Amino acid sequence: MNKMASVRLACHAMATRFELLVAGSDEAQLRGAGEEAVAMIQRLEAQLSFYRATSDVGRLNARAAYGAVAVEPALFRLLQRAHELHAATAGMFDITVGPLMRCWRFVRDTGSVPAPAELADARRRVGMRHVELDAMECTVRFARDGVELDLGGIAKGYALDRAAVVLRDAGVEHALLHGGTSSILAFGTSHDEQPWKVAVEQPRTHGATQPLAVVALHNRALSVSAVWGKAFSSNGKVYGHVMDPTMGRPVKRAGLAAAVSDSATDADAVATALLALGAARAGSCLAQLPGTFGLIVTDDDIDKGRVSFSHGIDLVPARTGLHSIAKAYNHA
Amino acid sequence: MHDPKHPPLPAALDRRDFLRRGSIASMAVMVGGVELHAAPAPRHGTAYRRKLGDERVACGIIGYGEWGREIAATLDRIENARVEAICDTFPLMLQRAAGSFTDVTLYDDYRQLLDNAAITAVFIATPTHLHRDVVTEALAAGKHVYCEVPLAHTLADTRAIAEAAQAATDSIFQCGLPYRSNPQHRNIFQFIRSGAIGSASAARAQWNRKNSWRRASATTARERELNWRLDHALSTGLMGEIGLHQIDVAGWIVRAAPVAVVGSGQVMHWRDGRRIADTVQAIFEFDGGLHFTYNATLANSFDGEYDAFYGNDGTVVVRDSKAWLFKEVDAPLLGWEVYARKDRFYREEGVALVADATKLAAQGIDPAADDPNVETPLFYALEEFVDNNLNGPFPPAAGIIEGHNATVVALKANEAVVRNARVEYDPSWFLTAD
Repeated sequence: MNKMASVRLACHAMATRFELLVAGSDEAQLRGAGEEAVAMIQRLEAQLSFYRATSDVGRLNARAAYGAVAVEPALFRLLQRAHELHAATAGMFDITVGPLMRCWRFVRDTGSVPAPAELADARRRVGMRHVELDAMECTVRFARDGVELDLGGIAKGYALDRAAVVLRDAGVEHALLHGGTSSILAFGTSHDEQPWKVAVEQPRTHGATQPLAVVALHNRALSVSAVWGKAFSSNGKVYGHVMDPTMGRPVKRAGLAAAVSDSATDADAVATALLALGAARAGSCLAQLPGTFGLIVTDDDIDKGRVSFSHGIDLVPARTGLHSIAKAYNHA
Repeated sequence: MHDPKHPPLPAALDRRDFLRRGSIASMAVMVGGVELHAAPAPRHGTAYRRKLGDERVACGIIGYGEWGREIAATLDRIENARVEAICDTFPLMLQRAAGSFTDVTLYDDYRQLLDNAAITAVFIATPTHLHRDVVTEALAAGKHVYCEVPLAHTLADTRAIAEAAQAATDSIFQCGLPYRSNPQHRNIFQFIRSGAIGSASAARAQWNRKNSWRRASATTARERELNWRLDHALSTGLMGEIGLHQIDVAGWIVRAAPVAVVGSGQVMHWRDGRRIADTVQAIFEFDGGLHFTYNATLANSFDGEYDAFYGNDGTVVVRDSKAWLFKEVDAPLLGWEVYARKDRFYREEGVALVADATKLAAQGIDPAADDPNVETPLFYALEEFVDNNLNGPFPPAAGIIEGHNATVVALKANEAVVRNARVEYDPSWFLTAD
């Protein structure tokens, strides 16, 4: 294919910046397709936002404890997938983690250690067992009050998956999309007819000039999660904002995790879960998700510049050929 | 058992909570920008909900593009509506429909959908220039019709649709002017008409986006069909496809059609060979000297979309589902605004009015926060149409007269833009209720 043209589009959504690079032969056609994809991302933000009372998620959180709430089939399928990912990650990816985040003051706050009673109450309200999905009626019901769904852990990836479908439907064959540089999806090839190359940066700069890893993405997605960016200290301990839903407290010794999958939704969920699972349990999780790969750098290994766990991700840094917007580094 | 589309709301509210919220409520209706949180939007799921058993309106959607999908998704949330048929000429759209709805019949020819006797209400969201045949045949088939606006791309087609709708006395016809059904707008207009901004001095509205307005498809033929908005022979331009809604709001509040419009338009950014202006301006003149200025552009997104109504005592700005009152410093005290929430807009202070705050508090909703029960204007419009199907007929908020006249105003405004000229509205172009 003659890729003479490329168009770059961007929008602010989900508290971050999405960027789309679409390539092909007809600039006007690429822009039209890209704009439709951007509209899809913005529509999904309006649907999935935890913070907007008028979003579908906001309505679910307000009403589902009082009775079954019908949702759009596509959103229902996303919730089903979240349920499956929860099971595949031993509960580490959990869209009901909101009460814990709130209790540890990570929601619109700087974080603090909760009182035991408050923590116990929050833990009672967390868990996918509280979320009842009725596939026949396409409804959602919470088994108790106080349950909240927060799709923030997969919303960016899901938006990329949906945007990619829009682009393909419009005839786009080559594109690289990212949300906040931490969720990335690519299909087709880059300008040099090679798979899009995305660098995972070293967790901390410390003078590091080479990326931690380079991932060649061809019809695949990459997600990177890291604990820093939002953390607090108390009594000499540092608490990051990535939560272990099973223990009800922030993950210990986590550093950075990355996941590669056919689905950006899955990649987002797995990257978050790998941080909580740690190197010892990551392998069993990935074994349940064929075609999904990952790497972990624990907090202990960060300063040593060492990868703690890797499964199927190329760790050989490439010195050239990185695409300019392909810089995967962010917090979870 | 409750209906899952509208489960009951939390009812529990302890006394302290009630008093706290009650005091907010009583204060809220009193104060620089006062948010006119307008309407006590219908509280679906409680007393507002009707018990109609399993009775549902069987809906068919003709045209499953972006807006058709929005209509379908919105109908899916309406208690007494059921999307049973979807028609589009493009297979990909039907694939999307199949992915979004179960038990829906798909058609690639609208006549087949109209032949389906089980479908009683059709929603027409095809390109504007295709409305006429679809509407007239749908009415002839005895369907109730909800048709998007502009009703047509020519005055002749618009008139033909109106005549067909008026002749079909057994069919309900509602046009897609959703602000007309929006409780927020109604409440705000009551507020303005009550004299809160004094005597009107001017009105202004804008719609700014950065978007090429171009659609893409995997096939060239389909792409040509999709880009009818950029086709000089078919498009009603920004005035018709976008401005119509805000222009209609201005005429609605003034309760009159404009007497003339001066327009201009330019291609300022998307120089891809198009002749359709990507930036337009128009000034509408009303009887009595009031002027309404409208700007729309596809070249810049700053400040998005809003409507402003100016008077000698204050200004009301309507944005999304909210509104604020900006009082003149010498304006008389209304009373309620003293304690209402105020939002800063640079050096201006807008008074945010939360009407019916006590009821919000009683439902456990903070009057100062976004109300999870507030729906989109489209939801209220479609809900009204569905309700009319089941329990009507009653005159729709946006019937054929409103749709016809709004279309005439917009088509002539587009003509003014294209000709860079002043166009006077001939009263004979408009329909009246008589």
